[in-house]
Amino acid sequence: MAHTLPSSDQSSDQDKWDSGGLECKGQLLIKIVMRNRLTALVVDGDTTCWVLEQELLHSYGVQTLGVDNSRDAVDLIASDAEFNLIIIEKILPVLNGLEVTRQICEIGVRCKMLEVTACSGESERQAFLAFGVDVFIEKPLDPEHLVPILRELDGQ
Amino acid sequence: MERNPMRRQLAIMRQSLFDQGHVDEQFVQLEELQDDANPNFVEEVVTLYYRDSARIILNIEQALERKPFDFRKLDAYMHQFKGSSSSIGAKKVKAESTLFREYCKSGNGEGCMRSFQQLKKEYATLRKKLGAYFQLARQAGPVETASRPK
Repeated sequence: MAHTLPSSDQSSDQDKWDSGGLECKGQLLIKIVMRNRLTALVVDGDTTCWVLEQELLHSYGVQTLGVDNSRDAVDLIASDAEFNLIIIEKILPVLNGLEVTRQICEIGVRCKMLEVTACSGESERQAFLAFGVDVFIEKPLDPEHLVPILRELDGQ
Repeated sequence: MERNPMRRQLAIMRQSLFDQGHVDEQFVQLEELQDDANPNFVEEVVTLYYRDSARIILNIEQALERKPFDFRKLDAYMHQFKGSSSSIGAKKVKAESTLFREYCKSGNGEGCMRSFQQLKKEYATLRKKLGAYFQLARQAGPVETASRPK
């Protein structure tokens, strides 16, 4: 089941884009100005996690889509949906995160892939990296890890 | 310093959540994601967490009633529970989740059961404290924030 994008105040977002960038508020939320509107797919079976991850991405102006199982994620990618960033949890309904990563890479997707999961061992971390994940992050996803990735994707 | 007594009480209550180790910095991140467009974001996410995690708690309880323990399954359940607990900044709950997973990895059934009992206590305590905090926050009303000049 694919989920719709989080709702947003589109008029205020448009004002911010017209002014040349999207600034992020808050003290913990690192402020950055994005030049481009990035897109992200969040794959997590836990609703609390993907709501938060989507909201965090959205606060940086990233347009996000969330799915709660691996089958929907693979089907979406196979249907040529394109994303700048894919965030995957290790334990998912249907197929596990490692298998999803493998299938997505086999399709030929070339975008930044993040494994965001509750702490796992070094062997699992290495397995994900070997399968094509670019970065392995322990939950929760935080600005300290996310911002450098967004900057890189934004060409900064 | 808050002049409004209710807001002052709210600030004290909030600080005690951190001082007593119930929540960590991730809770602050939730607060910073809350804005005029999402004025009740923190409470909504915490409500969502307690709604969804109840199912995982039940799954673990049922799995602990079956002998011999399936430690792989127990660990998988707790992996998910730990992930969502850490996402809302539930510090003590997260710590107990980590301990439980260590017991799973070492095949220590007694340890799992002890740890799970403690985890449920921390989970319930946090729920009560956050419930009281959000109730007071609603009574206190929204904080006025300066609007960004155009």
